[in-house]
Amino acid sequence: MDLETNSGDRAVFSREQAKTTRAEEEEIGYTFCDACNEVPFCGIKFFKKSEVVTRIESWPGYPNSPLCSKGYATLQRLYHPNRLKYPMKRTNPKGSSDPGYVRISWDEAYDMIVGHLNRIKKEHGPHSVFFYVGDPKEPRAAVQRLAATYGSVNYGCESSTACRRAAQLAELLTYGFPTTGNLPTEETKVMLIWGTNPAYSGQPFMCFRHLAEAKERGVKFIVVDPRKTPTAETLADIHLQPRPATTAALAAGMMHVIFKEGMQDRAFCDKWIHGIDELKEYVKGFTPEKVEKITWVPAKKIIDAARHYATRSPGGLMAGAQGTTHDLNATNNHRAILMVPAICGYIDIPGGITKDTYELEGMKAWADGPPGFSMREKMHEMKAHRLDFKVFPAWVEELWEVQTNYLVDWIKEGRVKAFLGWGFNMMIWPQTHEYQKAIESLEFSMAVDYFYRPWTHDFVDLVLPAAMNYERLAPFAFHGRQVFGRTPIKPLGECKEDWQIALDIGVRLGHPEVFFNGNVEDACNDILKMWNLSYEDLRKNQEKGVSIPPKGPELYKKYEKGLMRMDGKPGFKTPSGKIEAVSLALKKHGYPALPEYKDPMEITPEYPLILISGSRIPYITHSKWREDSPWLLELQRDPLLTIHPEDAAKRRIHRGDDVILKSPWGQIRVKAKPTIMARAGVVGIMHGWSKANVNELIPRQFDPISGFPPYKEVPCEVVKA
Amino acid sequence: MARYGILVDLKRCTGCMTCVIACKQENLTRPNIWWNKVLELESETLDRIIYFRYACMHCDDPPCVESCPEQAIYKRQDGIVLIDHEKCKGHGDCIKACPYGVIDINPDEDYFRGQKAPYGETEDPHRKHPPGKSSICTLCVHRIELGKEPACVEGCPSRAMIFGDLDDPNSPIHKKLPKSEQFLKSEGTNPKVFYLVPRDLSKQIERRIVENPTMGR
Repeated sequence: MDLETNSGDRAVFSREQAKTTRAEEEEIGYTFCDACNEVPFCGIKFFKKSEVVTRIESWPGYPNSPLCSKGYATLQRLYHPNRLKYPMKRTNPKGSSDPGYVRISWDEAYDMIVGHLNRIKKEHGPHSVFFYVGDPKEPRAAVQRLAATYGSVNYGCESSTACRRAAQLAELLTYGFPTTGNLPTEETKVMLIWGTNPAYSGQPFMCFRHLAEAKERGVKFIVVDPRKTPTAETLADIHLQPRPATTAALAAGMMHVIFKEGMQDRAFCDKWIHGIDELKEYVKGFTPEKVEKITWVPAKKIIDAARHYATRSPGGLMAGAQGTTHDLNATNNHRAILMVPAICGYIDIPGGITKDTYELEGMKAWADGPPGFSMREKMHEMKAHRLDFKVFPAWVEELWEVQTNYLVDWIKEGRVKAFLGWGFNMMIWPQTHEYQKAIESLEFSMAVDYFYRPWTHDFVDLVLPAAMNYERLAPFAFHGRQVFGRTPIKPLGECKEDWQIALDIGVRLGHPEVFFNGNVEDACNDILKMWNLSYEDLRKNQEKGVSIPPKGPELYKKYEKGLMRMDGKPGFKTPSGKIEAVSLALKKHGYPALPEYKDPMEITPEYPLILISGSRIPYITHSKWREDSPWLLELQRDPLLTIHPEDAAKRRIHRGDDVILKSPWGQIRVKAKPTIMARAGVVGIMHGWSKANVNELIPRQFDPISGFPPYKEVPCEVVKA
Repeated sequence: MARYGILVDLKRCTGCMTCVIACKQENLTRPNIWWNKVLELESETLDRIIYFRYACMHCDDPPCVESCPEQAIYKRQDGIVLIDHEKCKGHGDCIKACPYGVIDINPDEDYFRGQKAPYGETEDPHRKHPPGKSSICTLCVHRIELGKEPACVEGCPSRAMIFGDLDDPNSPIHKKLPKSEQFLKSEGTNPKVFYLVPRDLSKQIERRIVENPTMGR
């Protein structure tokens, strides 16, 4: 693509200028984006002049690309004048309207932390210190190592509060391996996308174009989502818009049709599903007509969807990481979804739901942390001290992170005395104010973050400034079996990267050898050495990364070959060795063992609508990106309530009106946006607005199996302000 | 000589706003200036929501060029329409002349209240936006001259946009032109941004463009 430069003197940009301002003065660097709290990340290639990043682009050839709006906005965030640049401690007592934060040195901050940690260990025991990582997930491995070394088993994260873990628990209980499904392959004939909007949430990672391409080559799409999302609007051949929190009934309705018409994979069902007869018996009662009454999905559409899905083998699945688990029947609702592809036999076959044959040895997702480095063994040994040990026994059996939703109660009972949080956000919790009060009442609490966020930091003792993605070395990235490093610039002010802070605390607690004398690169190398690599090798292969070859080709139907279980026996990694329609673990702990439907909260004349929060907007993640980047804030300045035009008309509500959204548990003031994106009877709002925190409308009631709150279930009403 | 244009496949546009921010990051336009605009369009009758991106159409017969009393707007041989900031006096005639409502006047504001972000301290002419002067998409001519696509096209995660030489029979964009349409064709400006439109939504999209709503949601 070459062209003549513009005629004569009117050239605004000349080729010569362009060349000198770009290629010659600039240096190139690489990092990852942490904007949507995904690990692994999307790749950023950046250009810098004397340690100032001037512009960025998608890392060419990187497995996760291209960037989204939030990724591009990380440049503006980096130089935001409001960034935290120094450690700060409160000088006014807790409960004061102004915490009176003042700048202190890192030495003073570390002395304070270590002083409290040593004292509390002596007075109350190490398990009374709660370690927490919110957003970003990047520090998890280092903080896990810190918790384990200090001797506290009580580590939790946003995944174990409200995000991925309930769905993961359902997957482990049902399939014996974690999966949110797969992108369609060349073999896939039909896709079931349930409770996720990959056009916006990028799971897995801005994958929408792959779905659009699949659509163009003839793959059929069934999308289940109450809202008319862009995913539904651009892909769906059949769009089911159920009443929130009735998932298990809708799945049962589909299975009813599949069994009734004999469309299931009989051989697979008989051989590989534990409790298939009980399941068949259970779904007999869920006729399409009955399911229509429960879920508001027309019976004909349920039948169509079931036929579409079961008769086009192989079928794939993309299920939400958390969208279907925000109700009081979270775990069994999600288990019900998983049973639909299972009875069709779409498990571990090309084009279906597959499990990687050769995952990178010694590594789990960064979200879990590498078991060795994160000292998982030690955490397991201390299991009996887990705060959630008695409350969530099935969870404790499968997941090693603590479910945090009972934190308020544990603090009141005196079982927690201190809280160390990296990127933690009080607004994650239902009835946020109770958690603010509880954490405020602790003997010591600290937060590591990029910005001062009053709804969280007003209630702690110490706030530490975190280096941002352009300024971090750790962690490195891996995608499948490819490993990548980054080339950080010097952090602004006195910011330190998350790993550095965790290592420094570890060193000062008296464990220099365990924490690599505070050297972040050495800490990374301790993990990289599992594959005979060092960070230097990643630098040498900066843009392309290092590929670690698998032992062999990808294999399918691994359950027949003894490749799914640790003991090498055929079958799945569940107690029965089969996919469990009837979960033996749930049965053992007295829970409903089938993926049973449970009536959602009732709507009443006073609260006739149902509230969904937590749905994604493409340019915001949680409470980030509002104040963090004016480029993004400019796109939407106010919390917008999506409400169906008919529901709005009934209440004489127009676009842009100030309205009060209320539930039996709380209320907020927001702006109305009548739109057909909202299903009639269901309103939606993005969470994480500090001026209108929707989680104050959510009660502290939890799914008994996973402890997840009902973010997508509560009855509500909307009135003009 | 090439004749550059963009084709947008609205069946792929999800309204994710990446093009908007990719452009911001590349060109560092001032607050409330969006060279890429993305609007939602709801059709209650068709029960359908679509999103569409539009920007300066780099018209073959650009009315803005004629409208400017200072002759500050010009079309290059490759069809790219640009504003010469030396000549522009900010009269705003071009804003009235443009049927697409994509021209704005640069405000005297920065994102960080009077503070320049360090990445903005640059000599790159495409990142300079003098207050009081008219502002339109340059089709990232500075990138085109380096053999790259405009930032919005390169950034689109859904690959909903194709950039290229409309006249080159071998270019991917040329091949898709027969099925595409132009918006507000009746204005006679020969816009060089083309669209693949789902169902029969062109008229409604045109109405939405004429309403010229602000882009913030």
